[in-house]
Amino acid sequence: MEQRDSGCRSACPSCEPTTVSRRDLLGGLGVLSMAAAFGAPVLLADDRLVIPNSEGFLVVDRKKCQGCGTCMMACSLAHAGVASYSLSRIQVVQDSFADWPDDVLLATCRQCQDAPCVQVCPTGANRPDARNGFVRRVDPDVCIGCKLCIQACPFTPVRLQWDRDHRKSQKCDLCVDTPYLDEKGGPGHVQACVRACPVGAIAFTRNMPDQTRADSYDVNLRGAVWKQLGMTTD
Amino acid sequence: MTLYGYAGKILRLDLTNRRFSEVATEKYQAWGGGHGLGAALFWDFCKDKTITDGRHPANVCILATSPLNGTPVPSGGGRCEVLGVGVGMYPVSWFTRSGFGGRFSTMLKHAGWDAIVIEGKASSPVWVDIRNDKVEIRDAAALWGKDTWETQHAIREFMGAPGGVDNAWWDLNPTAADALDPARDMGRTTQKPAVLTIGPAGENQTAAGCLLHDAGNGAGQGGFGAVWGSKNLKAISVVGTGEVRVADPKALLRARHVTQQKYVTSITQPDFASWSKIGNVPRPLFMNPPPTTERRPQACQGCISGCRARFAVGYGNESTCQETNWYLPAVRRVAKSMEELAEINLRAADVIQRYGHNSFLFQTGLHWLEYLYEEGILGPGKAIPSNLPWETYGTLEFAEKLIHALSHREDIGADLADGWVQAAYKWGRGDDLRTGHLQNSYWGMPEHGYDPRAELEWGYGSILGDRDINEHCFNIIFTNVTAAFAFAKPMRLEARELVEIISEKLIPYATNRPEVLDFADANMYSEDVARLVLWHRHYTRFYKQSALFCDLRWPDFYNTNTPDNRGATASDDAGEHIFWNAVTGEGISFAEGIERGRRIWNLDNAIWTLQGRHRDMVHFAPYVYETRFEKGELFPFYMWPCRDEQGEWHYKDLMGRKLDKDKFDEFKTIFYRMEGWDVATGWPTRKLLASLDLDEVADALEAAGRLGVERS
Repeated sequence: MEQRDSGCRSACPSCEPTTVSRRDLLGGLGVLSMAAAFGAPVLLADDRLVIPNSEGFLVVDRKKCQGCGTCMMACSLAHAGVASYSLSRIQVVQDSFADWPDDVLLATCRQCQDAPCVQVCPTGANRPDARNGFVRRVDPDVCIGCKLCIQACPFTPVRLQWDRDHRKSQKCDLCVDTPYLDEKGGPGHVQACVRACPVGAIAFTRNMPDQTRADSYDVNLRGAVWKQLGMTTD
Repeated sequence: MTLYGYAGKILRLDLTNRRFSEVATEKYQAWGGGHGLGAALFWDFCKDKTITDGRHPANVCILATSPLNGTPVPSGGGRCEVLGVGVGMYPVSWFTRSGFGGRFSTMLKHAGWDAIVIEGKASSPVWVDIRNDKVEIRDAAALWGKDTWETQHAIREFMGAPGGVDNAWWDLNPTAADALDPARDMGRTTQKPAVLTIGPAGENQTAAGCLLHDAGNGAGQGGFGAVWGSKNLKAISVVGTGEVRVADPKALLRARHVTQQKYVTSITQPDFASWSKIGNVPRPLFMNPPPTTERRPQACQGCISGCRARFAVGYGNESTCQETNWYLPAVRRVAKSMEELAEINLRAADVIQRYGHNSFLFQTGLHWLEYLYEEGILGPGKAIPSNLPWETYGTLEFAEKLIHALSHREDIGADLADGWVQAAYKWGRGDDLRTGHLQNSYWGMPEHGYDPRAELEWGYGSILGDRDINEHCFNIIFTNVTAAFAFAKPMRLEARELVEIISEKLIPYATNRPEVLDFADANMYSEDVARLVLWHRHYTRFYKQSALFCDLRWPDFYNTNTPDNRGATASDDAGEHIFWNAVTGEGISFAEGIERGRRIWNLDNAIWTLQGRHRDMVHFAPYVYETRFEKGELFPFYMWPCRDEQGEWHYKDLMGRKLDKDKFDEFKTIFYRMEGWDVATGWPTRKLLASLDLDEVADALEAAGRLGVERS
């Protein structure tokens, strides 16, 4: 489900355009348009890689999540055919003894504009996929398991996973490579976690959340129904 | 051979010698999982099946998962079954069961284990540390005396698993070198260890002792906390970084999606008044107003509709249903506002969770204590001496003192610790079981709020088995219909349509036989009702207690979210067997699942028989036969579909009646005959056991002189 079509009035990035983002800034410099025109990463003189923006993102509502872990199990099933937390590309971290809303964290890959994990990959295994909306993906056939991408991710917990059986890194691809889903995945198509979430605490959007804020992917996906259920929409 | 859905091995703990070993799951695969698996393990590993007190060192306690655990089967991924001989039942404690939700079974599967068999008794307190294949039996001296929450925090700290959620991945490898070695790499996780523990109520071996996991997942019935306490077992912690292999992942994801789209009301435009078990929006099951809107629904793993909550206010987290109102009758006396009422109730819920004390014993027990106090029988210097501050009854302080005393065998807790009915007789209050002042109706356990004089399948199922069944399969009829009457809500299904839809799914014993649901006076001891009880016993033993579909969400007989009002149960697109087959690859029919339940139920009965059961013992507390059902726990009437003299179906109030002891005895004969049990004793026969491929069980019964006889 694409969030911008939902008529949602919450304060999510789909409905409330962010102020000046890093994308806007770089776009103004023409670098991004150049990257987009080539459809491939562009290496600048200072060895920095400028890559086309992802055309899709996952946003979440940590105040809404019921902590059932269904998204995690659906993710690993769709990608790998097994149910596993450690192989899930979305991580729901929860502490039973903490209080709302600090008891749950939904850690999703941000499909970062500058994508440090892409920047450091020595083999090009981790790269934006031009055929699938420039989603940052790890090609397991090219990954050498050096874990540099895992070390480069600046978020806590790190948004890439270590597949210990195959000795590779992996990350959210917005369900581009999901052999165990009936339908096509990827930007504009199905995401296993979005579909499986019973409460609608995960959404797909084409609008890039603010890259300068750590909390910009945590949005309000609650609506009138939530209020009718006796829970806050603030 | 890949055992899809199974981890493939079972952990056997020898507490006496502080050793562990592995057992291959394959031998037990035919039992499914959960209760079936656990009962088969109990049969093999409990060497003295005549024991009737779970605190006996020969008792074996089993934690058993299902192939569905650790997968996104809707409301089927997060339960865990507990089995063994119980504590505190009357006249004896049977081989029994309990269960709990949360994350434990998922973590156990991801760590590579299908079940844990707990044998023997440690010489001093221990806890068990499971990290994937690595198992350590550790000293628990520092944990003994801590409450259930303190224990979990201490174990987390010991393991280096910090609290909160803003934490990095937790690398399970002891050294960096291990992480680099594919053969030794234990992997990493963002998840907390799942800890199952006892509190003071279990340490002191009281019948109220629970097993508790996270803030509010409790296995209460059966007194398994006391079993652990007797074994000096404080806690089991498990963390896993592995996986559950699924036979047909596409089919599993498809069926889950169908459930969400077809059977569950829309999260954006819900029907708040829908009649369904699986089809509702998440709505925590509080028995009093929630203290704040600043909360989330909170769910077990894989649940499609959470029934609990976590709040911003700092209390009441993860408590639901009975825990949130065990103290309510008392609080009503003192609370000056709804806010105060909610706060005391939920803080009292926290107290009972922390002590690891079974709240359900207060379902009828609190009314009894209150009666004894008000009659001047219980209190300081009274016939039943108690120095608890009864004048503060209803306050949080009193709740804490009461639970402390009962958890530590102090004050009246000294007598109640071994069972409430036992205490009644010790206090000379046996007559209270005749008058109904103490309504512990079956095997010494409290009546659940669904009186056996009205809701027959609940009462009959409980007394024909081992405990208060706590199975809401048909009870949803009472909930939906009675609430509709009470609150003038729409009657979504008329009686005839409702029973016809349900009976379509009572495969194979009562398919399209709606008369089995007729609980009217004329039908209450009939073969019809016996057939319903038969189906219920077998359905729950497999689908609910072995496959571990959640009691609150399954079975889904009728469902007003669908165009034809048919629910997910037994359906071809999202029925229980569809999920079972997607995970295991077995390809069973819905009816074959029922047949598996029959086999499991019969193994249970064989164990009860060895424990000393005889049909003469199978009776309710006297008040059920001698007094009329006049006061409902929830409503002043008890609505149920019944036929009138013309055979027309109506919703009828079943309050005001009692059971006839002789007629119930005749009902047992009908039921025993249906099961193939010896009608004179209730014992299984060799012919029956052989037909279930249980010849070894028949041999054991014969050797014990307790094999049933074929009678014409």
